[in-house]
Amino acid sequence: MLNLAKTLAVYVVDDDKSVRDSLAFMLEEYEFNVTTFEDGTLFLEALDLTQPGCVILDCRMPKLRGQQVHQLLNEAKSPLAVIYLTGHGDVPMAVDALQAGAVHFFQKPVRGSDLALAIEQGLIQSAGKMNTLAVNAAYDSLTIREKDILRLLIAGKRNLRIADELCIAMRTVEVHRATLLKKFSAKTVAELAYIYGHCHENAF
Amino acid sequence: MIKRWFRYSFHILVWMIALLSLPVSATTTAAANTPNVDIGVLATRGHLYTKQRWQPTIDWLNLQIPEVNFVLHPLDLDTMANAVSQQTMDFVLTNPGQSVTLGRQYALSWIATLTNKAPSSTNFGIGSALVVRASSDYQRPKDIVGLPMAAVSENAFGGYLTLRYEMVQQGINPNDFFADVHYLGFPIDANLYQLRDRNVEAAVVPVCLLENMVKEGLLNKAKFRVLNPKENGHFTCQVSTPLYPNWSLAKTERGSAQLAKKISRILLSMPPENAAAIASGASGWTSSVNLLSIDKVYQALDLLPLQQPWWKQALRWLRIHQEWAWALFIFFIFINVYHFWLEYRFSKSKQVLEQTLHRLKEKGEMLEHSQRVAIVGELGSSLAHEINQPLTAIRNYSEGGLLRLAKQRPYEDIIPVFDKIQSEVERADAIVNRLRTLITKRTVKKKMCDIEQLLNDTIELLHFRLQKQGVVIARELTGTAVKTVVDVVGLQQVMINVINNAIDACMTYLDRHPAEGYQANIIVRTHYQQDTISIEIVDNGTGLEHDNPTEAFVSTKTDGLGLGLAICRDVMEMHGGEFMIQSLKSKGCVATVSLPVLSKINNRR
Repeated sequence: MLNLAKTLAVYVVDDDKSVRDSLAFMLEEYEFNVTTFEDGTLFLEALDLTQPGCVILDCRMPKLRGQQVHQLLNEAKSPLAVIYLTGHGDVPMAVDALQAGAVHFFQKPVRGSDLALAIEQGLIQSAGKMNTLAVNAAYDSLTIREKDILRLLIAGKRNLRIADELCIAMRTVEVHRATLLKKFSAKTVAELAYIYGHCHENAF
Repeated sequence: MIKRWFRYSFHILVWMIALLSLPVSATTTAAANTPNVDIGVLATRGHLYTKQRWQPTIDWLNLQIPEVNFVLHPLDLDTMANAVSQQTMDFVLTNPGQSVTLGRQYALSWIATLTNKAPSSTNFGIGSALVVRASSDYQRPKDIVGLPMAAVSENAFGGYLTLRYEMVQQGINPNDFFADVHYLGFPIDANLYQLRDRNVEAAVVPVCLLENMVKEGLLNKAKFRVLNPKENGHFTCQVSTPLYPNWSLAKTERGSAQLAKKISRILLSMPPENAAAIASGASGWTSSVNLLSIDKVYQALDLLPLQQPWWKQALRWLRIHQEWAWALFIFFIFINVYHFWLEYRFSKSKQVLEQTLHRLKEKGEMLEHSQRVAIVGELGSSLAHEINQPLTAIRNYSEGGLLRLAKQRPYEDIIPVFDKIQSEVERADAIVNRLRTLITKRTVKKKMCDIEQLLNDTIELLHFRLQKQGVVIARELTGTAVKTVVDVVGLQQVMINVINNAIDACMTYLDRHPAEGYQANIIVRTHYQQDTISIEIVDNGTGLEHDNPTEAFVSTKTDGLGLGLAICRDVMEMHGGEFMIQSLKSKGCVATVSLPVLSKINNRR
């Protein structure tokens, strides 16, 4: 898992060049894949918001403040994890950030190891979030018939029984079942049930 | 037998004594039967003269009215007035001036007025003669205005008042005329003697005194002269004023009316050739004359006999106009009440004003404090941010460098880390320097300044805080105070800062030792020497808690920047002086500011 996380991107957004460069310098030594941005706008423009990763945001920046960037990310349902690193934070600011879903809230200057740990957490969280988003997308792509069959499959009913209940041919059930496994990237019905139950927000 | 003889002889002896004593007791009874009638006579020229002049008249009265025994009492002006008021006389014989004065105050009945000697035989025989030495060259009264003069008395009618009235009539201010007057009293002869002896330049005497004294051989007529002589028909004496009615006899309340009637009849019938009339220097008596002309004199001289002291008049007025008196009284009470009410209002509003002033000062203090906090807060937060940035970078680089070292990366990979750290340190340094120049950069105006005044002003500025915190501040001075050239604003800032620090130190001590009964004391001591002035601020607070308190950004206060003493030191160095602060062995600390004494303004540093 750790290695998987380390392959994910880490972004640093800070208007102060020396802070930005030094952070990148240090985090690279922790073997993160670091990209730096001068401000929030450039960052949002350059990024594929559907990809997982972790962003380290400064609060006080020209153009977009850190909190605004975070809000835009949330609105775009991005799986990116957010860590705040600010020179002048206070308790209300930290509470707001954490309630908005931030992984951590750091004051400058921060101990490198603490920051690295938080980034790892963030990356794991981001990867998880990414999975959830994929399952949700898969569920949304199902037809009504497929959703019915998924429900009955997870209820543990056999193909014959399902065909009887829905008054369709046994063969049709089998085709739909194969499509469901493919859409959720599962090999067996058991794995399908696990993925669906673990990730999907509408799970039973 | 022998016993019987003794008894007889004793009887005879008793009878003989009784017979002998009989005529004696008879004469005493006769004397007791003729009661004394006291007649007071104004003794203008002494008792002896008075007796000589009037005793014949008294004797004549005694002869004519044997039922009573008339007794002569010579009196002067005051005793005469007393006698009338105390009713110790039955009759009084006095000059016209006193007649009017007494007549207006007491119940006197005028019986008869003296008539002048023949041939004029008028009732007008009283006036003043203004006598000067014949050898002097004074011709008119004007010539002797303000010169030393003798007169009988302030109240003497013939010997003063008539002449005073004459001067008024002539348009001479009587106060100027009598600027150097000496009242010699009775006997009046003294006036002319003083004139003769050249002690005075003029003498005011009753008319005929000069002539009488010449006749008596007391004075030489050729040596004297009367100024302002008046023509008076057949009157033989020289006079400087008009003539006024002569002496009059009056009955007091004590005297009997019956007797008065008899006396009147006897006096009026006295023939001019009678010895008594001759002795009294008159040609007899007439019925009493009108005293109007005398009244006028008094009126003109503002001396009317009825003129009472002002307070008596006021009382009389009050008795008459009671409603006004009450109104006045009520008004007086009202004014008083109003006064107290105003006073009360005044003290109340004064209290309110004082409270307002107190509140204002309190608000000022709060404002100043919040301003200070705001400045500290703002400066602090931006300073924190400014310095935090390079610090963050330094931390990041150093941690990254450590990681590289741990991974045993090659030497070339590690060198740039230090370069980067170096440049971040320079950045931080630049920020601090900029801040320092920002704080110390201030236009400086030096001028001559009285250090004592400056210290007093400073203490006055801090008065509210000192009072609020209960700190006692004292001033001490050694040497002679001199002025010197200083940056007044800068020096005052230093003083405010140091005294504020002292107060803070005392308050901290109080917080830490609350139960000691501690009294915070600050002493501001100035010491003037030949070429330096040193000011010491001594407190009994906590003392110093830092080794080098004048270093910038060093503070033991939670809301302090640690710049105060650094600025103080800078300001004093700019003055060419010194700033030192050290703990005292016992308690507290002493801050010493020393300044050179400069006599010329030199604005260059």
